[in-house]
Amino acid sequence: MSELATYRIKAIAKKELVEFVRDWRTIMAIIVIPLLMFPLLFILFPVLLESEAAELDALELTVIVQTDLMEPSLEQAINNVSIRVVYEALPNLTVLSEPGEDLERVRNLSVDAVLRFEQENSTWNYAILHLSTSERSNEAWNRLLDALGTWESEEVERRIVDSGLDVNTTLDPLRWDGDVSQSDVATSGEQAGMLLSLFIPLVLAIWTYSSALQPSIDMTAGERERGTLEALLCLPCTRMELLLGKWVAVATITGVGVVLQICGLLFAIGYLASSSVIGLPELSIMTVALIVAAILLFAIMVVAIELALAMRSHSVKEAGSILAPMLLLIVFPALFTQVINLDGIESFWFAIPVVNILLALRELLMNRIITEHIIIWAGTSIVYAGLAAYYASRQFNREDIVTSLS
Amino acid sequence: MQPLLTLTSVSKSFGDLQALDSVDLNINAGEVVGLVGSNGAGKTTLLRLMAGVYTPTSGTVLLADGNPVSKMRQSLGVVPESTGLYSRLTAWENIRYHSRMHGISDKDAWARTAKFAQHLDMVDSLGRHTKGFSRGMRQKTALLRALAHGPSILLLDEPTAGLDITSARTVRKLVHQLKNEGGTVIYSTHQLAEAEQVCDRIVIVHNGEVRADGSPEDLLKSTNSTSLEEAYVALTKDTARQRQEDDQKEGRFTGMWRSFFTPKPPSTPALEVEEDE
Repeated sequence: MSELATYRIKAIAKKELVEFVRDWRTIMAIIVIPLLMFPLLFILFPVLLESEAAELDALELTVIVQTDLMEPSLEQAINNVSIRVVYEALPNLTVLSEPGEDLERVRNLSVDAVLRFEQENSTWNYAILHLSTSERSNEAWNRLLDALGTWESEEVERRIVDSGLDVNTTLDPLRWDGDVSQSDVATSGEQAGMLLSLFIPLVLAIWTYSSALQPSIDMTAGERERGTLEALLCLPCTRMELLLGKWVAVATITGVGVVLQICGLLFAIGYLASSSVIGLPELSIMTVALIVAAILLFAIMVVAIELALAMRSHSVKEAGSILAPMLLLIVFPALFTQVINLDGIESFWFAIPVVNILLALRELLMNRIITEHIIIWAGTSIVYAGLAAYYASRQFNREDIVTSLS
Repeated sequence: MQPLLTLTSVSKSFGDLQALDSVDLNINAGEVVGLVGSNGAGKTTLLRLMAGVYTPTSGTVLLADGNPVSKMRQSLGVVPESTGLYSRLTAWENIRYHSRMHGISDKDAWARTAKFAQHLDMVDSLGRHTKGFSRGMRQKTALLRALAHGPSILLLDEPTAGLDITSARTVRKLVHQLKNEGGTVIYSTHQLAEAEQVCDRIVIVHNGEVRADGSPEDLLKSTNSTSLEEAYVALTKDTARQRQEDDQKEGRFTGMWRSFFTPKPPSTPALEVEEDE
């Protein structure tokens, strides 16, 4: 490539990036939101959940307990879970879970739940009437279950003791000796790699596609719609230089977006969990180089396809309606890849577009370097990236791209 | 004199639309050539062929040295009808971007831009974003952009369309100045009066054909007319077509789909013509 061609490609990429930076809405959508999305989701969401849980805990609930014979220990257990209890006689029913005449008062929430309780020889039968669509009623149901669970455990222990048995050995005859985590021979780095491999490839694939979407459309169909492309096509630069310049710009924006999103994700996980839960994966320089190569090949393919399809479109609207649903072509393989077992995986998986790079990333994050797999995914990805670039160059060479709706 | 640009039997079709049919045209150095025709006549297609954006379906567009026109883009300055300015860039950044594509240093581009900006009264606007520019300012910026690399041929597509009287006059004055400096300008317009005022030669394009090519006096003589308007009407008697070349690019399915959801216009009752007694 000549010096002038390189200069032009740089000038095109620089101009596109300057235009991109000057639009604060796009910066928000592609840079700020991915950076903050996971921290906000992982940090604020639990805070919100906590406050909701505290609100539920503070609820004063009223429960009807219908029984003919109340066990004092059960009464104590129910009192311990902060419920106001009104006792009634057990109505005449075929089965306890039949709502009967209590249907209306549970439905209209004049009581939060009804617990029915009866003794049959040495066992107890019970049922709780509640309204599953009401948070109050659900909370009452949960508190009653807690109380019943506690009472049942105490009752089991009492019966074991009465039978002359040891509670501990009877209930827990099989025991782990020592620390469970101590027995895992995987290093903490390998464990971190395993954990990261579950979401990094997914985030990477989806975000690479979606963050390239807007700039790809703006730099092609957008230019066409605004009528700026004609003047550009009259310049001495070749269409290939134009494609490369725009590709560099979109790839840069996408790269920054993806890196920021992963940083945000790692920060959020690091903030939430203790450092022992997630650490740095143990990766060799070779592995890191292969990860970068895999991402680069994937980005070449994705950005080239998006630029090509957007360039085919006459308007931003048309490009959006073609490219947005195509995200599913990334999402489905990405989700599918998460459940594929990497142990003894068949080699053909590494030849399937999109799936191959995602599987490669999973393997590499777990520091597994399998030459056969690398040759297959690298080879096929080069072919796919080449085909995508060829398709993009064909679209950029179309004569009709000069025409615009404006 | 060897023509700077020669179009020989150039035809261009888009699908089944013959946009240009067997056009022969020479562009000589130092000339201001006006392409005059109605909307859809083929003027823009002709300009795009000269700019090397389109490839002829048949025929050739060659430079004086026999090279195809795509080799000439370095010495070409183009102002498309849409001006094609980037609204998030300043006027100077727009100009500099195109100059860089021509491989011209920023310093040289600025020197030429500053010179012409004074003529166009644009010096103070060069640092402003073009988003808020009026049509006239956009046109002037596009002109400055086309001139910044010192082109030997300037292609102007309807450069005064939508401009106010003062801006249109400024543009015409600039074309005169370029001609006086030895520049070659190809000027597309559908205003005959403007073509007469600005151009040495007028090429009348109609339904994809060149109907006449000569000086305003030649056109008057060849049609025995007293005005250019009369001459134009005489040369373009057949109905002008309305189709745009972009119509051809729509996919068959897209067209069918759209027409399925497009109701037919209400039928017009036949007009009753009263016969004179």
